[in-house]
Amino acid sequence: MPFEQFWAWLEMQPLSARIGESAWFPFLESIHVLSAMFVVGTVLMADLRLLGWNARRYPVTVVTGEVVPWTWGAFVVAVVTGVGLLMPRASWYVANPAFLAKVVLLLLAGANMLVLHFFALRTDRVRLQMTTGACSLLVWAGVVLAGRWIGHLS
Amino acid sequence: MHDLAVYLLSNVPGLPPIVQTVHLLGIAVIMSSVVLLDLRILGVALPSQGVQELARRVMPWVWWALPIMLLSGLPFVFARPQRYFTNPVFGLKFALLLPSIALAALLHVVTVRKPDYRGTKVIAAFSLLLWIGVVLAGRWIAYADYLLPEE
Repeated sequence: MPFEQFWAWLEMQPLSARIGESAWFPFLESIHVLSAMFVVGTVLMADLRLLGWNARRYPVTVVTGEVVPWTWGAFVVAVVTGVGLLMPRASWYVANPAFLAKVVLLLLAGANMLVLHFFALRTDRVRLQMTTGACSLLVWAGVVLAGRWIGHLS
Repeated sequence: MHDLAVYLLSNVPGLPPIVQTVHLLGIAVIMSSVVLLDLRILGVALPSQGVQELARRVMPWVWWALPIMLLSGLPFVFARPQRYFTNPVFGLKFALLLPSIALAALLHVVTVRKPDYRGTKVIAAFSLLLWIGVVLAGRWIAYADYLLPEE
């Protein structure tokens, strides 16, 4: 695993021990689940519009423009709490196949968002919008599945 | 039912995380429907979408998501009933869930029939807080010992 020393160093931080040995862990985890599901929920609203299955009376850019800032806000909370969850057992997480799958899927979700933002929405290409919407639904469902799977691997 | 749930959850590879993911995606649908409607009614989200139109469109999602979440939650309760029925956090989750569902039904009716009724803001605020509580309590079921250390 790359940066082995870094992950070990992260685990040694006083904050890591404080999270790992107290109710901070479940507290952060519950906030992580709440914010992550809000991310997926808002993404779902946008994706269904991209697919043309929801809110068709409003232009795509109106729906995405109003929903995506909420997605980003919740995403920041999910990342901050996620880093907190990672710290006490960083080396274990980065060697966990489900965690790695989750990271890859998150990068794919990011790439999909870039395609949407820079190509699909700019030129009003409906087919491409539908494709990015469908990809987003699948990738985010995969992120949730991989995330939930992390704890099932020993 | 107990034996079947235990058998399936321990012998079908990957079944527990898959069923839990279905349950989690149900939460995402709750967020995209009633929670976003709450935020819309409170005047902080989706300003372009009309309350009545939004409610008509997204509230049916709630009534689809809830039975799916019940079905995806039950196998775990069947498999380990003592883990849940003696767990006060599980009780708390349902104590929060029942009024959440009642308020969702009330919001659905009021927003469709009288979208301008001012009291919907109060209902939406309680609805929002209760759903947040349900999700947090749901995750805390596994950590009941932290909250209530055994004497």
